[in-house]
Amino acid sequence: MTIGITLLLFIVTHLVPVNPLAVILTEKSMEDPNAVAAAIEKWGLDKPPHEQYLIYLGNLLHGDLGISFKTKNPVMQDLKTFLPATVELSFGSFLFAIIFGLPLGVISAIRAGKLIDHVAQVISLLGASMPPFWSGLLVLFVFYYKLGLAPGPGRIDSRMGTPDLITGLFLVDSLISGNTEAFWSALSHLVLPSIILGWFTLALISRITRSSMLEVLAQDYIRTARAKGLQEKWVILSHAMRNALIPLTTLMGLAFAGLMSGAIMTETIFAWPGIGRYAVEASANLDYPALTGVTLLIALFYTMVNLVVDVLYTVIDPRIRES
Amino acid sequence: MKLNRLFSFLVLLTLLASILAGCAPAATEQPVAADPTAPAVEPTKATGGTLVIAMSLTDVVTLDPAFAGETTNLFIHINTYDTLVDIRPENLSKIVPRLAESWEVNPEFTEFIFHLRKDAKFASGNPVTSADVVFSWNRLLNIAGAPAFNLDGVGKVEVVDDYTVKVTTAADDTGKLQPLPQFLTSASNPSLGIQDSKLVKEHGGTDAADAKDTDKAKEWLDQNSAGSGPYVLTKWSPKAEIELVANKNYFGKAPYFEKVVIKNVEDPSTQLQMLQKGDADMLGSLDTDLVEQAKADSNIAITVDQTLDINYLAMVYTCPDDIKTQSEEKFTALMSPESHAVICKKEVRQAIALGIDYDGITKAVLGGYGTRAPSIIPVGIAGVDQGKTQGRDVAKAKDLMAAAGYADGVALDLYYGASPTREIVAAKIKEDLKEIGIDLTLKPLEQSVYLTEMRAQKLPMAFGGWTPDYLDVTMWTDYFGLGDRSIAFRMWFKNDEARALAEEIRTTSDPAKRVAATEKIQEVFIREMPFTMLYQIQSVHAFSKDLKGFAFHPVWFADLSALSK
Repeated sequence: MTIGITLLLFIVTHLVPVNPLAVILTEKSMEDPNAVAAAIEKWGLDKPPHEQYLIYLGNLLHGDLGISFKTKNPVMQDLKTFLPATVELSFGSFLFAIIFGLPLGVISAIRAGKLIDHVAQVISLLGASMPPFWSGLLVLFVFYYKLGLAPGPGRIDSRMGTPDLITGLFLVDSLISGNTEAFWSALSHLVLPSIILGWFTLALISRITRSSMLEVLAQDYIRTARAKGLQEKWVILSHAMRNALIPLTTLMGLAFAGLMSGAIMTETIFAWPGIGRYAVEASANLDYPALTGVTLLIALFYTMVNLVVDVLYTVIDPRIRES
Repeated sequence: MKLNRLFSFLVLLTLLASILAGCAPAATEQPVAADPTAPAVEPTKATGGTLVIAMSLTDVVTLDPAFAGETTNLFIHINTYDTLVDIRPENLSKIVPRLAESWEVNPEFTEFIFHLRKDAKFASGNPVTSADVVFSWNRLLNIAGAPAFNLDGVGKVEVVDDYTVKVTTAADDTGKLQPLPQFLTSASNPSLGIQDSKLVKEHGGTDAADAKDTDKAKEWLDQNSAGSGPYVLTKWSPKAEIELVANKNYFGKAPYFEKVVIKNVEDPSTQLQMLQKGDADMLGSLDTDLVEQAKADSNIAITVDQTLDINYLAMVYTCPDDIKTQSEEKFTALMSPESHAVICKKEVRQAIALGIDYDGITKAVLGGYGTRAPSIIPVGIAGVDQGKTQGRDVAKAKDLMAAAGYADGVALDLYYGASPTREIVAAKIKEDLKEIGIDLTLKPLEQSVYLTEMRAQKLPMAFGGWTPDYLDVTMWTDYFGLGDRSIAFRMWFKNDEARALAEEIRTTSDPAKRVAATEKIQEVFIREMPFTMLYQIQSVHAFSKDLKGFAFHPVWFADLSALSK
């Protein structure tokens, strides 16, 4: 899979007619033939593409993702710098989406056609239709600027400064170092961006939960369960929800992985130094090593999430486990 | 059994949900609860405290002066490293001492001797000596990174004694040393700040000829500074923030603010909101759309400052036939040969320059915060008389088009690196030129492609921006006047008169003669019209009213040590 992805990326990036030197050097240093020659030699641009690719693959085997054209840092180091912020944000958004999306979906299925169903539909519709660069600005304006309820952009209060970095996850690091003030600041800074990023996922989860629940609720075994006098909450929780969860698990897996790569807008609005911004800049600059590095990382992430989903299936559905 | 598992799964799920549901409101309430912690920081404010600046830091990719070529870097470097000489915001045409207390230049501009002040110490406590100057500049030259061009034309940097440095310019092919009159101004560029050689070497730095491959100090210098400037870099979180603390060993007046946090916030309205809420004390620059909003807030002070950043429209000077005789290869590579053959006529270039509604462009893209100079050399440079600026004159432009033989109109191509601002400008130019009978086809290219094609001399008409790295007039006369340099080369501007004047400016020390030559070269630019300035940007700066001492510098933005409350 790795070879497939890298090969595809390599071909695509080399088909685009841009000059990597324009990224490696500044406009003025491109005037200098010595600087140009030095750059061509250093970055191996004089070698034919297939040779460049083989060199890349060779380095990859040693865990070396190459050096970013733009930042001049090893890509691995850049990923380590930017990944934790995105991981924190994706977890926050995902939890927000599940905690509110799942009950919202279930309730709107049970009360289908009633007021609560319509309200849920409006919330989902808003989430699905408002672009984060607008909704993000809107919530900042209302909750930060006007009401003063939420903190401003960034991961932590500027005057407080970042906690000592161990994992790069501010919540974890501040807990490890026992800095509760930093923990609360980091947590409060996470709320608005999580809501904005997670809103679309919430819409997705609640809508799918609703239709999946509606389908399940119409099944014979639900009627049987009710007929044998089971309490309604048990019918919903153990008979209906469990069966409705199967398609949802797949969706949630994909949605979680999607949060990782879809955070670009939210990261920009909330000054969140994550991998999304890094990826956008890498592609805008056609920084091949950085771009390939990010893509590989996200591909790896999708694979891992799929694995987790497969394991979860067996927990939820005994038929899969036993087959 | 099965029910058990399901039950525990559900319990777990609800438990998780309730924990987080419990957390969520607590989190939204937190800022209010966290507010009492703000006054906890307050007492230190009296003795300086923390200054928070909100600005876009997305361009920063390294903080090692030998590698960094981005605009924000100049701001960070000038506050963490000292240059030998300085140009202060209050007088942009005067070179004043910084680490060098005096200097001597020979009449040929081939030898520069700097005498360093003896009381300067690096933040580490090491004294600043001539060896550090030699190390810093050789490291810059040998790493050959983006800022190395600041030392273009420098041949040798030598130690004379502990506090004396000698710089000799490079020789040409005949062995004659080349004059470098602008060297003093380029020595004021923050990239040429002096590094603590002991400290940098301790972290793997080297100034050896193979420093390009053997220097290992970048990683450390990205997170720390090794200078003698008023502030010391203590942390850089890419795309998040840069943290500076006051240098206890600074030889000048101790800075007021103990700590400076420069926070990366990209959205302009969020930046302003932070300033209004007191979460930031100062912004990098204020978006012109937000000026009215900022003015309405009595806690905010605003300054409008003249930058030297320009946008220009460049038009090809040499006709395809002449290009063909010079290089068959270049002739066949021209991207729009038909446009090329039209624009190379002087009257057409003059007509285009007269046909553009510059005020309209300034209003559309700068909200009116812009100005224009008579030629490509910006307002603020000695010898530039803004009164001579020629605006739009459609009737005259039409006459010129008719004189060139295009009374019935002509179709031309305009190339540029795509960006939202440039799209607006290009669309406006297209509309304007329609009135003088030019049907412009807009050809946006991806920025790196645009630069590559332009450098290959393929474009008939292009527009882009130019930002100075130092404040000498050669920053414009060299690059726009010498046919083998930069923009002049790319647009085939090979004019003997312009070349002679640019050379004279390059090699003359007498300020009066330089001003006279600057005046003359502008006349050539206006007559031949290879380039017309579209606009010169004015930058609006906003900060909290109680912040004192802000003075804008067109190269390095602001001296943090001058700020106080």
